Amino acid sequence: MMAPASNGQSSDKGLFDFLDGVNRSSALLGNMWGLRSWLSRYGVVLAIEETDESLGNVTGGTKTGSVADGLTQILLQMDTQRAMGHYGGLFNLSLLNLHGNNISTSNLLSLQTASGIGGDPGTRLWEMWYDQKFLEEDRLDVKLGQISVDQEFMVSNNALYFINTSSGWPMLPSTDLPGGGPAYPLSALGLRFSARPVNGTQILAGVFNGSPTQRQNGDPQQLDPHGDSFPWGGGVLAIMEAQFSYPALGSMVEPGQNADLGWTYRIGAWYDSRSFADQRWDTQGLSLDNPASNGQAMQHQGDYAVYAVADRLFWRNANNPNQTLAWFARIMGTPLADRNLIDASANAGFVLHSPFIYRAPDTFGVSVDYAHVSPDAAALNADGNLYGAAQPVRSSETVYEMTYQYQLRPWIQLQPDVQYVINPGAGVTDPYLTGARIANEWVIGLRTNISF
Amino acid sequence: MSLFSPPHPMRHLLCALTVGIVCQQACAAEPQGMLETLHRHKFLSSTITDNGDENPYAVVVVPHDMGALEQNDVLVDNFNNISNLQGTGTSIVRYRPGTGNTRLFAQLPQHLAQCPGGVGLTTAMAILNSGWVIVGSAPSTDGTTATKGDGCLLVFDANGKLIETWADKNINDPWGNISWQEQGNQATLFISMAGFGLPGPDVLDPTTRLPVIKHQATVLRLNLDIPNGKPPVITHETVIGDHYAQRADRDNFLFGPTGTALGKDDTLYVTDGLENAIYAIDHASTRSAAQGTGRLLTENGLLAWPLAMLMTPQQHLIVLNGKNGQAVEVDAASGKQIYAHWLNTDQAQSPPGNGDLFGAALTPDGTGLYYVEDDINALAIGAAK
Repeated sequence: MMAPASNGQSSDKGLFDFLDGVNRSSALLGNMWGLRSWLSRYGVVLAIEETDESLGNVTGGTKTGSVADGLTQILLQMDTQRAMGHYGGLFNLSLLNLHGNNISTSNLLSLQTASGIGGDPGTRLWEMWYDQKFLEEDRLDVKLGQISVDQEFMVSNNALYFINTSSGWPMLPSTDLPGGGPAYPLSALGLRFSARPVNGTQILAGVFNGSPTQRQNGDPQQLDPHGDSFPWGGGVLAIMEAQFSYPALGSMVEPGQNADLGWTYRIGAWYDSRSFADQRWDTQGLSLDNPASNGQAMQHQGDYAVYAVADRLFWRNANNPNQTLAWFARIMGTPLADRNLIDASANAGFVLHSPFIYRAPDTFGVSVDYAHVSPDAAALNADGNLYGAAQPVRSSETVYEMTYQYQLRPWIQLQPDVQYVINPGAGVTDPYLTGARIANEWVIGLRTNISF
Repeated sequence: MSLFSPPHPMRHLLCALTVGIVCQQACAAEPQGMLETLHRHKFLSSTITDNGDENPYAVVVVPHDMGALEQNDVLVDNFNNISNLQGTGTSIVRYRPGTGNTRLFAQLPQHLAQCPGGVGLTTAMAILNSGWVIVGSAPSTDGTTATKGDGCLLVFDANGKLIETWADKNINDPWGNISWQEQGNQATLFISMAGFGLPGPDVLDPTTRLPVIKHQATVLRLNLDIPNGKPPVITHETVIGDHYAQRADRDNFLFGPTGTALGKDDTLYVTDGLENAIYAIDHASTRSAAQGTGRLLTENGLLAWPLAMLMTPQQHLIVLNGKNGQAVEVDAASGKQIYAHWLNTDQAQSPPGNGDLFGAALTPDGTGLYYVEDDINALAIGAAK
């Protein structure tokens, strides 16, 4: 018989204690010298993640070269059941620090920027919200606070493996909504409902401030450089999305049944009540490129778009269940060509999990992203040519991407990436070559994700 | 199915309508088993402890009031520490259905001299009517079997106080859920041991390029005497099953026999994840020697790396899949796979629920399931109503 043990943690070996488990720990710093377990006593989880990348265009663009950028994310979440015995509550706070430069603005001038983490350098509050579950089986869930809409709406789970920004928040709202919409690295005050009337069906509905910034004239990240202005009263952005998925919780599978492996389909629409500037005409009815124009774009009340997203797992290796292949597709469109630069955007691709033997955490993917310039915006370019501008008429931009996410350790992933951009900026003029479009771009890069 | 067949919501709608028509004719019939009767699935509680332990494994239900425990409380242990290192979890939590509260029941230090290699609590857990809680440890210091110890069985009283530690040559990483039966002051436990001869996860078979497969895992029967008011004492140890497949794994610690369930006819059923099979050992409580892996009851089909297993009052086996979020029901007598039921549908994993399920236990009335969800570190219930 042995003496009873005392309560306690593993022995503290000092500053480098975390190295004991560095090969398999999910975070480089492990317990962070006791900070994480101290926070855990209060139901709080701390995550710190560093993403750094170097992307370079070897052809095309306004110039060739490579650019480094990075993102530090700090996330704090408190489970109210663990903290204070209150069931179903989650408080979330996230902070961002963006650093480095942006190759898409310096070299590429592409609409669909090469990196989803790119932005203006600085430190900012991102999200701060409280989420509460209601009803039996948690069939209703309400979130309130400063929310980044791209974390829940219009999401393709498979697209999230890719680096290009349009794989996350789609190109259409990113271009057309005020400030690019309340999406990374921005957010907006809002209220979101999520209901699950039957298993396998989820209804999301949210109402958010119509713009992530109070003013609209300028770079939205600079207008609210720390994310702490909490603008309110700038119209309303309303989004509703219905999600249908298989398997549904509790669904049955019969022996020999050729059951689907898993899919999620989403359909949705958004409406923003703010004023939107016409893409072509001024308030006098003249083309904005007409030398006689007063430069004041005609205004339209409201804007909307509809979208659909599909993620489907369609193959699994019978000898290696970890090796699976999925496809995804997302399309969004609006008929309002007069007030939108982009009237349609789409993403599609394939994702292969565990591409090699004994590499279960790795992922390989290929994708294509597409953005179409609205006829009115294109007509403005044609108008300019009538008045002697000699500029290309913008049409569309397509990006092909191939990526491999390699887990070096559970806390560090390396992600080599190749992108090919066709008709960058949908055909905008190269500022260094008068009247010529920017040449197509090969972009190569390496991203590193580290969880601290 | 064609690889590129387009999504067709109408097809699913038609399927649902067809099922509805068939159901009008067939649903009035007696249920074939238990899983089809589970219509309510509910998150009950986080299983993360104050020290941040995670990855819940074992689930057992308290049979009656004892010490700090009340009848129908649910005990859950954690296999990982706050850094998510496998084989380093040291805590057991207690969930109380009446109040919904979860509290720490027991916590150990990482290292115990009497437990070779330290503490990493596994799916092996039993709670005896006499108030003793017996838990397996398959420890590691780096989260892999490269640093694994032989581990031990830990005996707690009903207040969560560690009383005894059992370690000997027959005990090596007690891994799978414990089956047990009690009679007066005696108890019989059946525990799978998955650690014998197991190397680290980077020792690869040059042919498969996967970690080498060993066939040294066993099922051990422990006969216990439980003197009144005193801790249980091992009176006999008998290896009743051996040569089960096992191998280390970088991401899953190890694959090995993980589930046991005892039938009324004294047959012990054992899941073998690597072979994707369930075996049956006859005369489990009386046999004096190993029967190898036992006779094959069923394999493949709906099974996808079967883990923990339990026996329903109907004498059906319910086994939780490791490679998807399904529970599979099997007729223990015939070996017929009846159907599977999606308990975890998390599509963050591929296939959905991959790696999320592990331990499970019947609810006290025998009509529902408590189960853990490792993706969210939670205890959940699947119930009829």
